[in-house]
Amino acid sequence: MATSVIMPKLEMDQETATVIQWLKQEGETVTKGEPLLVVETSKITIEIEAPASGILAGVRVGPGDVVPVTEVIAYILQPGEELPAELTPEAEPALPPSPAPAPTPDVTPSPPSVSRPATPVAQRLAAAHGLDLSTIVGTGPGGEITKADVEKALAVSQPPAEAQTEKVRATPAARRIARERGVDLSTIAGSGPRGRVQAADVLAAAAGPAAEVARAEVTVIPLQGMRRTIAERMTASYQTAPHITLTVRVDMGAFEEARAQLNARAEATGQPRISVTALLVKAVAQTLRRHPWLNSTLRDQEIHLLPEININVAVALDDGLIVPVVHGADGKSVAEISAEVRDLVARAREGRLTPADVTGGTFTISNLGPFGIEQFTAIINPPQAAILAVGITRPEPVADEEGRVTVRPVMRMTLSADHRIVDGAVAAHFLTDLREVLENPILLLW
Amino acid sequence: MRELSYAEAIREALRQEMQRDERVFIIGEDVGVYGGAFGVTLGLVEEFGEERVIDTPISELGIAGAITGAALTGMRPVGEIMFMDFTTLAMEQLVNQAAKIRFMFGGKAKVPFVLRTPAGSGTGAAAQHSQSLENWFVHVPGLKVVMPSTPYDAKGLLIASIRDDNPVIFIEHKLLYKVKGPVPEEPYTIPLGTAEVKREGRDLTIIATSIMVQRSLEAAQQLAEEGIEVEVIDPRTLKPLDKEPLIRSVMKTGRVLIVHEACKTGGYGGELAAVIAESEAFDYLDAPIIRLAGRDMPISYNRTLEYHTVPQVENIVQAARDLARGRM
Repeated sequence: MATSVIMPKLEMDQETATVIQWLKQEGETVTKGEPLLVVETSKITIEIEAPASGILAGVRVGPGDVVPVTEVIAYILQPGEELPAELTPEAEPALPPSPAPAPTPDVTPSPPSVSRPATPVAQRLAAAHGLDLSTIVGTGPGGEITKADVEKALAVSQPPAEAQTEKVRATPAARRIARERGVDLSTIAGSGPRGRVQAADVLAAAAGPAAEVARAEVTVIPLQGMRRTIAERMTASYQTAPHITLTVRVDMGAFEEARAQLNARAEATGQPRISVTALLVKAVAQTLRRHPWLNSTLRDQEIHLLPEININVAVALDDGLIVPVVHGADGKSVAEISAEVRDLVARAREGRLTPADVTGGTFTISNLGPFGIEQFTAIINPPQAAILAVGITRPEPVADEEGRVTVRPVMRMTLSADHRIVDGAVAAHFLTDLREVLENPILLLW
Repeated sequence: MRELSYAEAIREALRQEMQRDERVFIIGEDVGVYGGAFGVTLGLVEEFGEERVIDTPISELGIAGAITGAALTGMRPVGEIMFMDFTTLAMEQLVNQAAKIRFMFGGKAKVPFVLRTPAGSGTGAAAQHSQSLENWFVHVPGLKVVMPSTPYDAKGLLIASIRDDNPVIFIEHKLLYKVKGPVPEEPYTIPLGTAEVKREGRDLTIIATSIMVQRSLEAAQQLAEEGIEVEVIDPRTLKPLDKEPLIRSVMKTGRVLIVHEACKTGGYGGELAAVIAESEAFDYLDAPIIRLAGRDMPISYNRTLEYHTVPQVENIVQAARDLARGRM
């Protein structure tokens, strides 16, 4: 059925428009909505679109022609269709014998000239979506097409976009639970509107076999409590304090001998034995007196050299790590320190430390010797300036100054220091002084 | 406990505050001899005299200006605008003056007034006497906005509002005036900015204001018979808003229906929805946040149309059921 192309009325008071140029030629195939020609009104120049798909025919006006609005200026024919005789323009020859290009599949038939009754809203909605009203069955009074009819037709012709996308629809609660339980949302059939996965769906799936497989692979433990504190403090320390690490080997012969003598006395007098840690704390505390930069802290833009020497001792727990403090360690006897450390460790493992037991530390010792570790580097316990990592003491062949090899008890210790405060040479002096004390425990009397 | 109607509870709050504090007075159209268009101030002019219960000409801007000025000079006025619709005429004083003065004078001046006004539809009073314009005021920093839903809350909130040093817009509901409930005889206050859980439940949270609290409680009762346990929360003051109870409740139930009478578009429900969506409750939402509110149209004079323009119990039941059952 032929569709007429008319000169549109584009403005309220417009009576004519001037044809500027045809963008399609007579006999050319056009698709509905394609620009057909350019016209000019008193206000604008605008492209006129093809009102239907088909073949442009019966063009009656040319560039420069002033045409009254609503006048037919051409026709669009279906393939094989001829211009009706009464429509044939006088001056125009009959259509060229149609080389009739095969209709492309997406070409829709032009609407019939007699339009079906439709409500204004339905018409507007159909036009907005390029929907042909003739394809819709009206359910309104007298077969009138209503808004609901158009919406129904739209739903059929335009399947919801989500059907084509991969994204999983799920509520925030469902997503949270899936995350917590390690469930893959895409494996779950949602029971909500449009297949939305809801919390109950995830819980059901988590209880099923699929979730068991998932849980066999990953055990999820929330980062909380002590674990979280350690994570935050260690991250902050490692990211803000540039660590330098220095290692020395210590001949522990004299140290072990001194400890053996102290313990012999302790046994003779029925007192508790002196721990390695206690002697280390004492030696470190006394050495720190001579190296205040290692016993300091960086606050804002100031380095504070601290008057007290409070030594933290790292204690491993089943589920973490805690660092109780021996306050004023440089002023305490080895026996006092030993008793205090024993008490702190015992209470740490029972979870009975008080805030005073864990605050105020100025330097930390971490001893992984009992775990068989030879050497390691520790992360500074903020806001302190340094930490000492102590390894195992065990017999090793050692060359003396004359090059003679003997077997000596050897311990390696590594100092991590905050380079913002402590330079390498300062750290080295501290560490070698500490080694001297450990190798000559008599210096503890100095 | 003795029962009072919502109107009686408001009257008792006014009377007790006027007895306690001679700076408190009432001013409005027909509040004196006539006793108020809804009878709220009935008998007060006889008790306190015409100096403290002042009838004004029909000038809402005049009332708003008078209470602003009186409050500035040390009085604690309670103005009444006969219908909330006519607060539109008083906007200049309320929004540009009363709300701004304390701020602009660096706290050296204060405007401790209460403006009482009835809102809402359901009386066949048509488009110009039925509106719920609370969100106009919520949007203005410097004003507090209170919407009591029970006689108990009305008394406690009104006394707190009179004693508050800021301008308070106190929005009553015409259909609530005759609703009865327990009210203590002695004066008491409910702090502004405290929400209340009116009914506990685990399946769904309804946040409702004013008369919608009553309708939601009725809906919750019906839904309980179907095995759906609804929690109903009343913010009571829209500004300041007590967010925590709302957030906690949504974290518990995972589903929230917001019900108010005012038009949906630009209504307070949008604010409530945003508060929840921005909070930690987001990760607990198991359905979209749903608003059930007045249609975006003027209230009709036709009673049937009026009825269907704002949420009714059956609409709340339907929406809550669909939401609780995972169909929304």
